[in-house]
Amino acid sequence: MADAGLLALSFIVPLCVVLAWMPVYLRWLTKAGRVVDDVHKRPPTKVPSPAGPVLFVAAIAGETVAYFAFGSLVPIAMMGVTTIAFAVGIADDLFVLGGKTKPLLLLLAAAPIVVLARYEPTLYNPVLTFPLLGDTAPHLIIYTLLAVAAFPIVANAFNMMDSFNGQISWFTLLVSLALVVGISLHAAFASGFSLSHLAVAFPLVGVALGLLFFNRYPSRAFDGDSGSLMFGAMFAGLTITGGVEVAAMIAIVPAILNSFYTLSSVRGFVERRKMGARPTYLGDDGKLYATREGSAPTTLIRLILLGGAQDEEGLVRSVIILVGVSCLLSAGISVLTWAF
Amino acid sequence: MKLAPLIGIEIAAFALIIFETYVFFNVVVPLGPIPHTLVEYTGYGLLKMLLVVGLVAVWFLVMVELTRLYTRSRLSPSPSPSS
Repeated sequence: MADAGLLALSFIVPLCVVLAWMPVYLRWLTKAGRVVDDVHKRPPTKVPSPAGPVLFVAAIAGETVAYFAFGSLVPIAMMGVTTIAFAVGIADDLFVLGGKTKPLLLLLAAAPIVVLARYEPTLYNPVLTFPLLGDTAPHLIIYTLLAVAAFPIVANAFNMMDSFNGQISWFTLLVSLALVVGISLHAAFASGFSLSHLAVAFPLVGVALGLLFFNRYPSRAFDGDSGSLMFGAMFAGLTITGGVEVAAMIAIVPAILNSFYTLSSVRGFVERRKMGARPTYLGDDGKLYATREGSAPTTLIRLILLGGAQDEEGLVRSVIILVGVSCLLSAGISVLTWAF
Repeated sequence: MKLAPLIGIEIAAFALIIFETYVFFNVVVPLGPIPHTLVEYTGYGLLKMLLVVGLVAVWFLVMVELTRLYTRSRLSPSPSPSS
């Protein structure tokens, strides 16, 4: 019972930090002139950005609660992951990093987990656990290399899901809940798996829920790359420390497909601000349309809009449905993996 | 219901991951006899790695092809009722 209270605290504290500090911070951003155009409105409205710093403080607060509640180096590793990814993101918000520089810098976000695993070997287990079939043999070097490579891939996938009002906050909230389901089942059915692995996942849920209040349609705040890259890196870190790789991959299938489509259609890492043809455009009626030219990059949003033009709110609802389906499949995978 | 084809692609991605996992565990992992020499060990190791790369490639190819089919069906003009 006490453990449940402490787990709840690692969710409530970051949520309250976002809810309490965001309005103050947004007023300051507006006064400082740090506002960007919400280009999917006609005429474009001004929205304060980046909200990442408040999200970062909230995430660190949540991980600190997890550390004092459950001990172990897992929350410390997550704080390191969060800090490095946030630093890369805020540098991108302020100076705009190149399309190749960002993924290379994001490789560093894996360092806290890899380094601290030398002091706490249970930080992560170098095996993949598959539904019904069980574990692979442990492969420390191969697993670690794949884990390091996962950080820029997942963070970039989250970044590419940050285009419309409420899209990133809904997406992060749903996939982090799927992750919590997986890690909870792992903790319940696997022996020797400490609760600190589960506690570190709650701050991501709390921060995403807090952001949703300000980022949902019509947005009063944009998280910026400092928010989306941090969310992606936290998700990758939690997947590795929680040992729920397959379920996590299934949960973010829409984002994986989105980045895969984009990367394959623009042939490589290209900073999204520098893409030539746009995949979608805003019509005079305020609705979003898919670009019908064959040269336009394929994105998940373009695929949805190929089914018919939608307003921004309806479009984000469609994304939520797709992510919801993948999260249900992910929860099914978690049940098959740990409960059978 | 406009989203049904995309949900179908999503479920196909999921089903393929599960199917390939089964292939990985039941075909790739137990492949070949227990290696006794370094050549056998390296050879079977490389073969298994190639098969894993192949499984990943199959997943991507199926996804690309399904998406291409979907895009083509949406971009092609639908026949008029009189034709």
